[in-house]
Amino acid sequence: MNLGTRKLLDRSFTALGISSIVIMGLMLLVVLVPIVSNGIGAIVFKSTIEHRKMLYHEFNRGDKADLQREIASSDASRKEIYRMLDTFDAELSKMDETRQQEYREKFEQVKNSLRALLGPIPGDEEPALARLKYGQTRWEKAEEKLHELLFEKKWDYSNPDEMAKEYEVSRSASFEGTSLVRLFPYVEKNIDRLLQPEWTFYWGFITDSSVDAHFFGGIWPEIQGTLFLAVGAMLFAFPLGVIGAIYFTEYARDGFLTSLLRSANSTLAGVPSIVFGLFGLTFFINTLKVSESKSVLAGSLTLAIMILPTIIRSSEEAILAVPKTYKEASLGLGSTKWNTIIKVILPAALPGILTGGVLSLGRAAGETAPIIFTAAVSVGSAIGLADVLSSPTPALSWNIYNLASEHEAAAEIRHVQYGMVLALMTIVTLLNMSAIVLRARISKKLKG
Amino acid sequence: MKLFRKIFLGAAVFGLMASADASAAANKLVLDGSTTVGPIAKAFAAHFTKTTGVPVTVSESGSGNGAKSLINKTCDIADMSRPMKDNEVAAARSKGVTPVEHVVALDGLAIIVHPSNRVNSLSRAQIRGIYMGRYTNWSQVGGPNAPIVIIQRESNSGTQDSFKELVMGKDNPISKRAETQASNGAIKSRVASTPNAVGFVGLGFVDNSIKALLVDGVDPDARTVKNGTYPLHRALFMYTNGQPSGVVKQFIDLPKTPEGKRIISETGFVNYY
Repeated sequence: MNLGTRKLLDRSFTALGISSIVIMGLMLLVVLVPIVSNGIGAIVFKSTIEHRKMLYHEFNRGDKADLQREIASSDASRKEIYRMLDTFDAELSKMDETRQQEYREKFEQVKNSLRALLGPIPGDEEPALARLKYGQTRWEKAEEKLHELLFEKKWDYSNPDEMAKEYEVSRSASFEGTSLVRLFPYVEKNIDRLLQPEWTFYWGFITDSSVDAHFFGGIWPEIQGTLFLAVGAMLFAFPLGVIGAIYFTEYARDGFLTSLLRSANSTLAGVPSIVFGLFGLTFFINTLKVSESKSVLAGSLTLAIMILPTIIRSSEEAILAVPKTYKEASLGLGSTKWNTIIKVILPAALPGILTGGVLSLGRAAGETAPIIFTAAVSVGSAIGLADVLSSPTPALSWNIYNLASEHEAAAEIRHVQYGMVLALMTIVTLLNMSAIVLRARISKKLKG
Repeated sequence: MKLFRKIFLGAAVFGLMASADASAAANKLVLDGSTTVGPIAKAFAAHFTKTTGVPVTVSESGSGNGAKSLINKTCDIADMSRPMKDNEVAAARSKGVTPVEHVVALDGLAIIVHPSNRVNSLSRAQIRGIYMGRYTNWSQVGGPNAPIVIIQRESNSGTQDSFKELVMGKDNPISKRAETQASNGAIKSRVASTPNAVGFVGLGFVDNSIKALLVDGVDPDARTVKNGTYPLHRALFMYTNGQPSGVVKQFIDLPKTPEGKRIISETGFVNYY
């Protein structure tokens, strides 16, 4: 090969390498930007007066005098709307039978749209569910609901061979010639005064419990559950894993049994997590009965088994990476084997062991399948430390799935789901960062 | 050595705190089961915790799982959208569990399609034909010329069992082309995003992102479900181990209270009491 070809090949390889890194970076951007921007939207958003009402009534938060002033100014504009509704109601009862029927249903639709936008109409019975007690708490949702009030969605079924196309009809047009026609431009024009939007930093999203199955409030029970499960898994798996690794590296003799154990350990690391979940259900809950129901304890034990092989493996690598001379020097000075392990080998291997441990902690926090049957529930209040042995808990990973698919109003509360995703990502990132920092600090200490 | 001592101390404190209050935490409720009963159970749970202070957790894992949890004594109340089967009752008895049935609410099994579909009404025979795979195009049942995407629930689902019983009958298996979704919510969002799809969900899951069909000419709503004219109506249950007492009884009796009734109708289901 002459020099020219070699250079060319070298350059093209460099270009390939750089471009693959660039592609990876772009992919990361494509994934991360929506997660972060949507997730932040759960905490920082334009809130309406309904949000502040909700906070005051459900969490007793906010300034009462301020709120009452706002409510008074909003109600002044709302009164006009309700007066129009009453006027139309009176007009409706004077109409003849056929026209009454024609308008009755449309009027009901208008009232329901108004309820969705502004909350219950005066004269309505007080709703039992919090989701019906308040109007739209978020401005971007309020704009959607306003659009639904102003325009009726219809489907054009005229072509029998095809799926219908959607089109919109202005509602004011369908009330042409009645008194209600004034309502629509009024609401559109005064929407700012009706809902009084303002930018809010809702820190309660992190620290509050959810109200009415995640319609309002925050995700603290989920965050706390995730932390409990991950830390619990670590309490079981970390000591066991390190002890196992010491056995493999220092005590086990090479032989059939040891190689069998090693390959069993590697196989365990590759078992799908749902298998661990089912195992946890049958073994910890149904056979050992560690708790009466699903519980944090059962979930932690299951997660611990799942991350144990990884911890053993990484600890083993870390111990093997300790230079042989350390051990020889210690033994040569007359130290016992146990003393050597505790005083020389483990401290030297600690950075590697901790890194493996914290990375597993991150994995335990993010796993869904092992906790479906052993620990996670779709709603529940934040549990105290005292309840971890007996109570199940909501957890971020499981509730993200629940809100994405099972929840009855998944499309209405997407922001909560985004917020949960961001929270989980943040927790895992923080754990990994702390692993890096910890490792750097301990390495420095060992060198110094 | 310092680090190890700290860890041990931490673990000891953790363990002490946990064991100290373990007995006090007995006053709690664990619910497991149907995704159809889920919205009612979750709303009841919020109401119950607010009024009595007793913590309630709800899992939505399907009626079959609810039954299994009750049999294994891992839940206090099993939510189910179908009655317990004979083999489940037998399994419960053999483990010393006596399942007792309580009706929570009534539900209509809504047959749902995308709003762009011109089909507004189907007979039970037509629905059966669609799910058996006899009709594969919407034009065969009065719709546009488009293939039908059939969506069903998983085998664990009580809604699936109700559908088989109310629509399919014993000898008519559901077509192998049917796609399976794991919850009411998942079926709803699948149908809402797929113009050619048909699926079935509990009445409480119907909203304007999808269209509920008339079945045998009857609109599914609170009135037709209550008086039984809507053909696909069924009861929703909660099962307890033995006659309930204490907080379990208080919870089970919620559908009979005025607030309970309000919650049931506001979540879109129909009152039984």
